Amino acid sequence: MDAVASKPQDYKSELKPVWCPGCGDFSVLAAITRALAELGLEQRNVALVSGIGCSSRLPAYTSLYGFHAVHGRALPVASGLKLARPELTVLAAGGDGDGFSIGGNHFVHACRRNVDMTYIIMDNSVYGMTKGQASPTTEADWTGSKLTPEGPGLSPFRPLEMALSAGATFISRAFSGDPLEVTRQICAGIAHEGFSFIHVLSPCVTYRPEQKGWREFVHADFTEPYTDRREAFLRLLDDDGFTTGILYKSQTPPFQTRPKPVEPVSVLGDQFAI
Amino acid sequence: METVEEFIAHAIALEEDSAVRFDDMADALDVHNNHEVKDLFLKMAHYSRLHLAEARKLGEGLTLPDLKPWEFKWPDAEPPETPDQDATHYLMTPHHALAMALDSEKRAQVYYAGLANGHDNARIRELAAEFAEEEAEHVAMLEAMLAKYPAPPVDWDEDMDPPIAVD
Amino acid sequence: MIRSTVSIALTGSGGAGVMTAGQMLLDAAAQAGYYGLMGRTLGPQIRGGESAAMIRLSNRPVQGLDDGHDILLAFDWGNIDRFIKELPLVPGGIVIADPHHGQVPAVMDQDHHRIVNIPLHDLAKTIPGGRVNMIGLGLIAELIGLDHAHLLDRVAKQLTGKGEQALAASKAGLDAGAEAAAGITGLDPLAEPQPRTGDRWSITGNDAAGLGAIQGGVRFCAAYPITPATDILEWLAPNLPRVGGSLVQCEDELASINMIIGSSFGGVPSVTATSGPGLALMTESLGLAVASETPVVVINVQRGGPSTGIPTKSEQVDLNIAVNGLHGDAPHVVTAPLSIGDCLFTTQWSVHLAEAMQTAVIVLSDQVIGQSRAIIDKPADLAFVGKRLVPERIEAPYRRYAITADGLSPMALPGQEGGMYTADGLEHNETGHPSTQIEHHQEQLDKRRRKVEGFDYGDHWGVVEGDDDADIAVVTWGSSAEPAREAVQRARTQGFKVRLVAARLIAPVPVARLTAALDGVSRVLVVEQNHGGQYFRHLRAHMDLPGKVETYHRPGPFTLRPREILQRILGQ
Repeated sequence: MDAVASKPQDYKSELKPVWCPGCGDFSVLAAITRALAELGLEQRNVALVSGIGCSSRLPAYTSLYGFHAVHGRALPVASGLKLARPELTVLAAGGDGDGFSIGGNHFVHACRRNVDMTYIIMDNSVYGMTKGQASPTTEADWTGSKLTPEGPGLSPFRPLEMALSAGATFISRAFSGDPLEVTRQICAGIAHEGFSFIHVLSPCVTYRPEQKGWREFVHADFTEPYTDRREAFLRLLDDDGFTTGILYKSQTPPFQTRPKPVEPVSVLGDQFAI
Repeated sequence: METVEEFIAHAIALEEDSAVRFDDMADALDVHNNHEVKDLFLKMAHYSRLHLAEARKLGEGLTLPDLKPWEFKWPDAEPPETPDQDATHYLMTPHHALAMALDSEKRAQVYYAGLANGHDNARIRELAAEFAEEEAEHVAMLEAMLAKYPAPPVDWDEDMDPPIAVD
Repeated sequence: MIRSTVSIALTGSGGAGVMTAGQMLLDAAAQAGYYGLMGRTLGPQIRGGESAAMIRLSNRPVQGLDDGHDILLAFDWGNIDRFIKELPLVPGGIVIADPHHGQVPAVMDQDHHRIVNIPLHDLAKTIPGGRVNMIGLGLIAELIGLDHAHLLDRVAKQLTGKGEQALAASKAGLDAGAEAAAGITGLDPLAEPQPRTGDRWSITGNDAAGLGAIQGGVRFCAAYPITPATDILEWLAPNLPRVGGSLVQCEDELASINMIIGSSFGGVPSVTATSGPGLALMTESLGLAVASETPVVVINVQRGGPSTGIPTKSEQVDLNIAVNGLHGDAPHVVTAPLSIGDCLFTTQWSVHLAEAMQTAVIVLSDQVIGQSRAIIDKPADLAFVGKRLVPERIEAPYRRYAITADGLSPMALPGQEGGMYTADGLEHNETGHPSTQIEHHQEQLDKRRRKVEGFDYGDHWGVVEGDDDADIAVVTWGSSAEPAREAVQRARTQGFKVRLVAARLIAPVPVARLTAALDGVSRVLVVEQNHGGQYFRHLRAHMDLPGKVETYHRPGPFTLRPREILQRILGQ
């Protein structure tokens, strides 16, 4: 990593976020910039990829190479970029709807694929950009949306369990109200070789104002990362969804393509010669 | 926190974090066309930067510890003078903004007062007492300002228009 | 009479080895100096299903099947009724049947077929380790006058490592087959091959597309398997790493297209290959490639549709979705290879176009050219290598989507100092910042259209052949070009003045070039293989065609043949 003295502000663009005042995503943006400054990474060597949604607006608010892609597809775009340009530091970011619903399949397979990148989900259990519908992490009986007046009626997605069972090699959870912990986890995620999944509880002040109360629920009880999947699973069975810290870390080698010694293109046609 | 250097590193981080947060909140309010509160937040950021400069001056000539953001010893998750992100609202009034600022200054005052009263290191106690006094002045100033902005009616956050679907 | 071309169908099921025999026949003929091609038609079974190899050999270059087969050799009759209509015989065509498999089915037993009974099965049994497909091969080679030495060479290659005994059995089989051919008469002998003037290749359209992609500069591929495009991926997988690239198998087509958008954003020319259903899944992100101006190439090997349709068989049915499937005003490029060998040229050119214009290019190949193998002259080296406009020096503020005269804006690549920007599918201003402003939308729409419509596609937009003073123009695209070309040639030998206009560039429609190509004709016949006349409608949406305009289009899975097109040319 390049050692350049830099400040968090150096990683911000001049664009001001459109997020509602009070949104947890401000703190995540601040944590990302702080982590990059802490690691001293050069902006030009970092790429941040997102999908669609409130939190997916994040790349444009940074001074990095960014890609604001289509809904649900941040992970494949980020994976393609990292595989084609392994020397870059690649981050992906987005919300719970983007990552767990429309992009759910990619989430599972990105965990399996274990490409060396860091995925930050800002989870507020609601679709903010479309006016507050239930998301995969919304409680089954939440009646706050006109679309599901009786509540969504589905059991909430459990991101950490999914990530662990699918094969993610770094799994953590933080609360946006504790941005220094978010910063710590992002630094650790970037340093980790492999797919790092950071689940950030990030309240929506507009559609889920009650989430401001999460401050009272979170507890930093993932103290030392498990390296044994079995133990991590057992721990997750008792998780109330508000435990923060780094849950799990394993040393599985990351997925990467391995080009052979390069031959000239002109020899490829030889196989067709009669 | 054991040394004067650590104390000063904390004082710098405390003011810097506060300034950056007020700036961020000013941006958020600017985007939401609440310019009155934006201006107030910018003013708060400005004051924090003045204090930041003072803290930095204290550190001149000293070798301050290179602490990672999460290695600072704060009483809570964030530095005590950093205003609560989730207390902002797009319709908030100067009364709310000043109350937020007052709250953060009070927390800083309590933080420094605690060190001034309870720390083993005499120099830290001395410095903390100075800082606590300064924060107390800010508290008094903000209380005076707040008195000019009485609490708005209870329906201050009522918006007759529904939220917008953006994406 | 000496014939210049002969067509042979081999059919069988349940492990008869039809495809292997067909491939050996084609290879042996190629070694002898013939040109030719082999297509195939298959049942839906993974193993043991009915299948047919359709082989055409000639002493001149051919890349399309003929009207009918001169010989149909049936190793057995399994489910022949399901696909006999794809295996028409010429009048008087020879049907070689094995009495071991019972009566010749009624569908075959027509007056104009000559049924010849040969006990293939019993002959094979007389040879230790004997196989019916060797008997059949020997028989066919003898009938068409192909030297056994070439077949033996090819068989030896196939049996490498299987021991002398296997080779001896095969040789005995070929001999027995040749002997069995003795009594069969009435097939004009195939002309001797002309002396070879240069190297030749044996290649499928799908392999050619893969090679074209790499030659065009592609170094990354992400893909999801789908018939009939999988061969491209299976070719690229071992070959990309040889030139420093890589291929990743994805969880679905949504991942494939988005992964190559990511890799291309990183500056690495990238491709994926799919077929209709996969293309449908990719269209949202193709819009992202257009809006974010990220070059990508999608090779779409068309198959029967709609929906899952007929995965193993060909139709030119995805023109509509390729041209019009993207939401919003999304100018992009659609191309179509004109033959098996042209899959190389068109794909390589398409990579060049995508990179040069920073946009999405969809290549409309199809099953019939993708999965057929042809003997072709070794393609000339092509100059097209994707070259992206990358800024050399960047002045702040970097304007990724700068408005320029030709619509092209220098694209910074991650790692480049001063070029940091966010690529965005949201409408944006010149710097890439999201914008809903009228003027930003207008100027970005204009620029994206300008760069695609104003690009100089040169002479590669299509092929124009035939008479300068033609009365009739046959306008066609993609895989229909070969049968159309042959129909035009036949019409001209009958004294008609005809011109072939075969388009490689489907979108944007090269209106000026097409207008020039159609100059002077009083009749236009638009030929394609689909039910809806997709290309005809597409052309009419963009231009007026001169004179009397007719269309000839019909669905698959029986691919277009020269005679039916000739009949339309002649007004029959």
